[in-house]
Amino acid sequence: MKTLLSSFLLALLVAFIVALSLSLGAVSLSFEQILSGFDASSEFYFTIHEYRLPRSILAILVGGMMALSGALVQGVIRNPLASPDVLGVSQGAGLAAVILMTIFPSVSIFWLPWAALSGGIIAALFLWFLCGSHSGAIKLAITGVAMAALYSSAVDFLMLTKPLEVNNALLWLTGSLWGRGWNQITMLLPWLVLIPFAFSLAKRLNLIGLGDDVATSLGTSISMTRLWALTIAVGLTASCVSICGPIGFLGLIAPHLARRLVGGRHQVLLPCTMLVGMVILLLADLVARIINPPIELSAGIMTAIIGAPYFLWLLFKVR
Amino acid sequence: MLRALNILLTTLLFSLSSAVFAVSVEDSKGTFTLDYAPKRIVVLEFSFADALASVNVSPVGIADDKKPTRVLKEVRDIIGEWTSVGTRSQPSLEVISSLKPDLIIADINRHEAIYEDLKKIAPTVILQSRGETYQDNLKSAAIIGKVLGKEGEMQQRLAQHKDTMQRFAEQLPNAVEVQFSIARKDNMYIHTADSYAGGVIRALGLSNPEITKGDKASRKVGLEQLLAINPEHLILGPYSTPNIVDTWKTEPLWSVLKVAQNGNLHEVDANVWSRCRGIMAAERIAQDLVTIFQK
Repeated sequence: MKTLLSSFLLALLVAFIVALSLSLGAVSLSFEQILSGFDASSEFYFTIHEYRLPRSILAILVGGMMALSGALVQGVIRNPLASPDVLGVSQGAGLAAVILMTIFPSVSIFWLPWAALSGGIIAALFLWFLCGSHSGAIKLAITGVAMAALYSSAVDFLMLTKPLEVNNALLWLTGSLWGRGWNQITMLLPWLVLIPFAFSLAKRLNLIGLGDDVATSLGTSISMTRLWALTIAVGLTASCVSICGPIGFLGLIAPHLARRLVGGRHQVLLPCTMLVGMVILLLADLVARIINPPIELSAGIMTAIIGAPYFLWLLFKVR
Repeated sequence: MLRALNILLTTLLFSLSSAVFAVSVEDSKGTFTLDYAPKRIVVLEFSFADALASVNVSPVGIADDKKPTRVLKEVRDIIGEWTSVGTRSQPSLEVISSLKPDLIIADINRHEAIYEDLKKIAPTVILQSRGETYQDNLKSAAIIGKVLGKEGEMQQRLAQHKDTMQRFAEQLPNAVEVQFSIARKDNMYIHTADSYAGGVIRALGLSNPEITKGDKASRKVGLEQLLAINPEHLILGPYSTPNIVDTWKTEPLWSVLKVAQNGNLHEVDANVWSRCRGIMAAERIAQDLVTIFQK
């Protein structure tokens, strides 16, 4: 009952922040003006239909997907500090994007999401190649973190040697919803297919939570579940990062908050994590937009401001 | 019959007259056509504001990072009030839209990702601004003049600019090596021969250090690398004080530099030299150089 109420409240909160996002900004709009914004002849058409609405939808999609990806990774690695970042996917995607922006600055920006997506997926395949499907969670996480550090240092190297393109690259690397619209939403839509598959893993993730031995004796194949969960997490993260850049800490803190609200049963946890992720990203983007208009901050900076202290607190608590 | 002919003639005349106003220019995305003289213009880089001001046109909005003083003073004096549309790197599309512009001038380097969105707001010319050379900048100004329907005026201004720069050049020594650098708290970026400032320096008959040719517009250097360049004159644009040069001055290596031995280290406004770019910015840079060399 409590979980149902929590989920309902979360969904309500998402709707409320979407309404706020449509109404607030550099120009505040009334309810009637928002409604008129859906009409192509209205003067608010661009602001509502082409700007605030797609941005809110994108925040919902990316927030939900990144958070879900985080819950899956934490579920199979069984470490509260785990997040999609330990797979090196965001960093791989970042490296590919920075390579494109610094070494081939004349290439059209159209290719950026595709380069980032391939970078993320290649990084995941490489990790799989290094670890194989039968190694333990710890080996996977440590190898992933090491690879992530390698990619990040390559990014730093590129940015030091190509200073002119640094600003664009840095901007992309903070993760932002600025300048994204319907096109980017269409690019994300096919990846939503992964969500039902993620939900179908819920029961097996519960068993894994009991420990490898228990899970195996209860008939769950650890390595298969892990492979599936991580594959889905990689797909979700890589697609989101390719569109918005690596929005930090989202995949880490959303599952934690959700677990506090509804507990660890994955059937409830997974959907709730998505809702929490949506709330966080919507709020981060809203604040980034309205804190000092017309200056647009990056949503990634906002999630880092909330996420970094939480991460530290978590570190101390875990010890 | 006569009436039909009348209508035909009128339509023909109308289409002709609109054809007279239509301009067509090549921008970074191909051919850009505009069939009216724009009145409400939003510019997303300082160099474009400079081009507008050069033919006495005031933009309604500038991506000025919400710091109006970053716009060159000479430009501010001409254009009067404007609305800030946010940072150059992430301008606020909703503010741009709320200004109801009929022309947007954007930078291919920074704004390619939002080009499609900008076009939904208003016709958008997209040119290179960031990382452009002095010559590119003058070409862009000519294109902007054409789009504004002030081609003649802009050509006149450009010719006048050439004369002005020529007069400044006459007051400057010939082929003296000048290096412009940006100094921040803990790093220094040199602006190479291919940078905007480097181009202006060359246009004035001074020279760029040989070693920086064929490089990107700006490059981070350490003290040892600066010594390898070892320019005769170092012009410093500090973005913060104290900066890296104050640290370097305490190191023995600094005293080996020609600029340290001959006292040829000069300070200028980093904003003017590095951010502004444009006809008036180049004239300000030239004026600064004349002041430096007549000291």
